[in-house]
Amino acid sequence: MIRKTAGFGLSLILATLLFPVLTWAYVGLCCAHCGGNMPLNIPGGGIPETHEFRFKVSQSYMEMGSMRDTTDDISTSSLLGNPATGKFAAVPDEMRMYMTMFGAAYSFTDDFALMIMGNYVRNEMDMKFNTLLTNNSGRDGFTMFSDGFGDTKLLGKLRMYKDDNLAPKMQFSAIFGMSLPTGETDKEFTENPVAGQNGTILPFRMQTSSGTVDPIMGFTFQMIRDPWWMGANIMYEGHWYDNARGYHQGQELWIDGYIMRQVHQRLVLQAQLNYKHEGRYSDEPYEGRVKGHGHTMFNPNNPFTSPLFDPENYGGEKLSLSFGFQVQPFNMHVIEVLATLPIYQNLNGPQLRDSFRIMASYYLELPTKRSRRYVGTKAPKELGF
Amino acid sequence: MKSSALTLKITLLATAFLALTTSLVWAHPQAFEQMGVVAPKTVKPAPDFALTDIHGKPVSLGDFRGKTVLLNFWATWCGACKEELPSMERLYQSLKGKGFEIVAISIDRGNQDRVKKYAREYNLSFPILLDPDQKIRKNYYIMGLPTSYLIDPQGQLRGFVSGARTWDHPLSKEIMMSFKNSSAVVKKSRFDND
Repeated sequence: MIRKTAGFGLSLILATLLFPVLTWAYVGLCCAHCGGNMPLNIPGGGIPETHEFRFKVSQSYMEMGSMRDTTDDISTSSLLGNPATGKFAAVPDEMRMYMTMFGAAYSFTDDFALMIMGNYVRNEMDMKFNTLLTNNSGRDGFTMFSDGFGDTKLLGKLRMYKDDNLAPKMQFSAIFGMSLPTGETDKEFTENPVAGQNGTILPFRMQTSSGTVDPIMGFTFQMIRDPWWMGANIMYEGHWYDNARGYHQGQELWIDGYIMRQVHQRLVLQAQLNYKHEGRYSDEPYEGRVKGHGHTMFNPNNPFTSPLFDPENYGGEKLSLSFGFQVQPFNMHVIEVLATLPIYQNLNGPQLRDSFRIMASYYLELPTKRSRRYVGTKAPKELGF
Repeated sequence: MKSSALTLKITLLATAFLALTTSLVWAHPQAFEQMGVVAPKTVKPAPDFALTDIHGKPVSLGDFRGKTVLLNFWATWCGACKEELPSMERLYQSLKGKGFEIVAISIDRGNQDRVKKYAREYNLSFPILLDPDQKIRKNYYIMGLPTSYLIDPQGQLRGFVSGARTWDHPLSKEIMMSFKNSSAVVKKSRFDND
């Protein structure tokens, strides 16, 4: 029901945004946002010019593995064994995540823009079995799989301070919005070689949604010291109540710092320092708590078959370094490529650590007939025009 | 009777004066329109400025009194500015020494070397002034780049241009030259014969 409502709401918003007459006209007028002025991966980055749309499509690939507990790397095999002795029957070895993101933004004024972002995700997680499961299934592991639409973010960015409109040296904005549960929280095993496991619920990370309407709030600080652009973004996504399966995701906090250097009119190099804090999941899903999914012998009182089913084994602190570039091959088109490598990870319990992520984004600017780039700027009446 | 004749004379004089002062626009309405030049509703003096050029030499608007000036605002980070600067240089070369001057004001914030490099790269020979504090830019109410103003030899604002243009276009040259004797009756444009 909530997905249908959210879908209808998003369609309505999109229709409202697309209603103004679009135009491809370009009068050759530049402005502070031309060619992007923030990394596109940071929420609130890539704000369009006033009365213009920006559409974004990006593809990211992320690899996770091996296992880590707090700040110590541990081998998958060291966790395999008899669950009765504190070990696990199945332990993840590596995860690959392919995410296609699509977004649209429209600026209503110089200081206010609305953004909508969705994604389609495909998760693959390689699992290793202990001796017992290997003997029973005739395989030493398998690959868990899930895919589908993720949650949709609806965000507003309100510029609260600027020291100049055309070429601000400093500006400060608030970001606010929500994440709508357009993904799913009931993804199940389909290709598990162990008898009786198919049809049971997949672990948390294989689900494509938080299952809750989550508030998002943050602040962005941007600064320009030509040819350097720099800034910081702090954003919080709350998970305040339980979803339909009786749990909620841990609270999430991101702090991103970035520095960009314009080396050419059409080329900007960038580096970022990204911090993320994520709390633990609040509880097991109903299927685990009541039906015993993810527990030995399907008994909720028995140990977990895999660390993936324990809500305590999620979240932690992560610090990453990202670097890449933005290029504007033609007017109105921006391409960004970004690579991210972790530099510090302190994780809550045994879980897969981040290995690397690469992301390529394509960005299209689309002025409407009300855009300055279509009509030009107004001649000042103060000077007699 | 005498009073009626006086009124008629005053009306005729006023009409002649109005025709003379607005003749620039009337003579070139199509040229203005085709080049996207906005003519002033009320002719006002261009705000004065005193800046230094990229060689450190002080330059003020008063230095160009008696010449038609194309005053252009730009920045090295502006892609659209890059598009029009070569045509601006060609216009400068063709009208140089004919009572015409181009003055380009860079609003780059303190990156003078980059502006110099840019001028060398594009062989720009007209004066390039630096406005790192944006004071002059703000006096001219610049909200986008590039933006240009047309200033007549008497230092009056005669046109506003938002966005990049092909400045060496014949229409552009015609407009620039028409300001040369703006206090005198302007010769009829070829468009008046259309």
